[in-house]
Amino acid sequence: MKLWDLARTANRNLFRAKLRTFLTVMAIFVGAFTLVMTNGVGDGLRDYVEMQVKTFEGERILFVRKKLPAELEEQANSSGPVEYKEATEDGEGNLIDPNSVVVSLEQIEGLKDKRPDVRSITPACRVNPEYISVQGGKKYQVGIGMLSEGVEQKLEAGKMFDGSDQIILPIHLARAYDENVGNLVGKTATLAYRVGNDRELRSRDLTIAGVATRGMISNLNAFVDTETAKAIYTEQNGDTPNFNYFNNFTIQLERADSELLESTKERLDKLGFVGLGIADIEKRTYDAIGILQVGLNVFALVALLAASFGIINTLVIAVMERTKEIGLQKALGMGRFKVFLLFSIESVLIGFWGAMLGIVSAIGIGSAANAFLSATYLESFEGFSLFAFRPLALGAVLLLVCAIAFVAGVMPAIRASRLDPIEALRYE
Amino acid sequence: MLETSELRRTFTSDAVDYEVLKGIDLRIERGESVAIVGKSGSGKSTLMHLLACLDRPTSGRISFEGRDYLSLSEKERDRLRNEKFGFVFQQFFLNGRDTVYENVVLPMRIRGAADKDLRPKAMSALESVGLGDKHAKRAKDLSGGEKQRVCIARALVGGPDVIFADEPTGNLDSKTSRTIEDLMLTLNRDKGITVVIVTHDEDLAAKCGRTINLKDGMVVDELGEDDEAGEAGEQI
Repeated sequence: MKLWDLARTANRNLFRAKLRTFLTVMAIFVGAFTLVMTNGVGDGLRDYVEMQVKTFEGERILFVRKKLPAELEEQANSSGPVEYKEATEDGEGNLIDPNSVVVSLEQIEGLKDKRPDVRSITPACRVNPEYISVQGGKKYQVGIGMLSEGVEQKLEAGKMFDGSDQIILPIHLARAYDENVGNLVGKTATLAYRVGNDRELRSRDLTIAGVATRGMISNLNAFVDTETAKAIYTEQNGDTPNFNYFNNFTIQLERADSELLESTKERLDKLGFVGLGIADIEKRTYDAIGILQVGLNVFALVALLAASFGIINTLVIAVMERTKEIGLQKALGMGRFKVFLLFSIESVLIGFWGAMLGIVSAIGIGSAANAFLSATYLESFEGFSLFAFRPLALGAVLLLVCAIAFVAGVMPAIRASRLDPIEALRYE
Repeated sequence: MLETSELRRTFTSDAVDYEVLKGIDLRIERGESVAIVGKSGSGKSTLMHLLACLDRPTSGRISFEGRDYLSLSEKERDRLRNEKFGFVFQQFFLNGRDTVYENVVLPMRIRGAADKDLRPKAMSALESVGLGDKHAKRAKDLSGGEKQRVCIARALVGGPDVIFADEPTGNLDSKTSRTIEDLMLTLNRDKGITVVIVTHDEDLAAKCGRTINLKDGMVVDELGEDDEAGEAGEQI
């Protein structure tokens, strides 16, 4: 029998026992539906987090911090607390503090001299602002982040810095001044901050270069360019003992090259630093979602496993019911393998229809739920769809369910294929 | 064409051996019509199953056109049955929900024939049994005699050399039986298809060219009325 004829016959056989087929398909449907939904939640979260996290770009950028001593570094990477170690003095009277993660400007600049493929190294200058005001309007609290050269923030309006004394506003803040945030680009923002022990209030006028898109960090912070950050940092910390000691810094490489990025990370590791690319930082977040997603999917897979026993049951009964028919087919020269295929195809078809139904319903219900939720409970999570359905994931579900169905069909199909035609024709 | 020598078949049930065939030597020539008769339990069905390559002998040999069944692989046995043999059973074994046409083309589908080749073959087979106009009917809506005619058409569709019939009239009233008998023997006469019929219907056996009488797994006497008549004719 040709494959097409087998498939047609298998499909017809399924329709012969409509109710039984329907019930088995329903069991598979429930499993497939659950799998699509749980996977959809995972992808929905992933999309949302991606939207939140992926607001920075910079393939040439490494965020670097000093490594703790090996033992402490290990503790820092695990979930436990990090032990405190007493500082010691080296032979020359320098204090060696194993707990400290700060790095001196000297040491940072020293790294650059040795590397021709490093374009710039920028220490992360922390700025403590008092308030911000646009065009002399209402004053707001704000956090300030520094964007090193080579780091791109995704923008709703305007463009990245093209000089110093510039600022990028978070979208919430920008909207407070003008609903049409594009109007703010090129206008002046006044950033106020306090300096020294007497907390003298100073301010600096900055040009609004752009407005950041929504994101986990860009929702909270306004961003200034390196020069501006350095200037304010110097004003605020110039006379303190921790001036020019930094928690971290960014390295900008000469070119965007993943090999160079990796080799630089390795070199940093040898020098006692931890360097992470933007992709590394994102990956950590995605890994966490991945684990969540796998956890959810396990539940759906259990449902599918249960349903696969339904398939086995259905096919075992079908083989019994159709023993004579199989006997006839074998007597008329149908080979074992074709009989095996006939039942396997029936099994896969049950899986296929169940999966198709599951996928279609999941998309329908998921989309309706998205619309409902984003208008109600998830209103504050702008741009968050609880369920995201990716064609590739849906295809994978379809294939997986068909594969599970195939495996479930193996035992009954082998039974059918091994029937002796004479015995089968006599079967009552 | 079909030949057996020292053919034995033993079935084992609950560790007890039942020797159903106790050394059968037979020759069936092309174009013959042979009835295998005997009481139930005489081994006639078993003999037919062995001849039709559905079963394997415990010992002895069977061959079809010189091909020893023992030398055939399972695939070759399947092909032999599909291409050279046709089957008619007492219980019809039709798929009631399918159309007459679908039932008839089954051996061709199993063979893997192309769709376009099916129709002329099926229609000609149905014409041969006088059911050309019923091809679109559901098999379950036919009368018993019609069902058996569909079975004959199904046996015929692949152009077989031999048709094996196991009690083909066992489920039919006597009038319908006569039609079926005549149909089978017409096919034998007009198309030269060898017919091997297992039956306990004496009328049917009498219409066949030769009767092989089995008793307790042995051939007790072979009556070849036509042959004897033929030989007698030559002698005169």
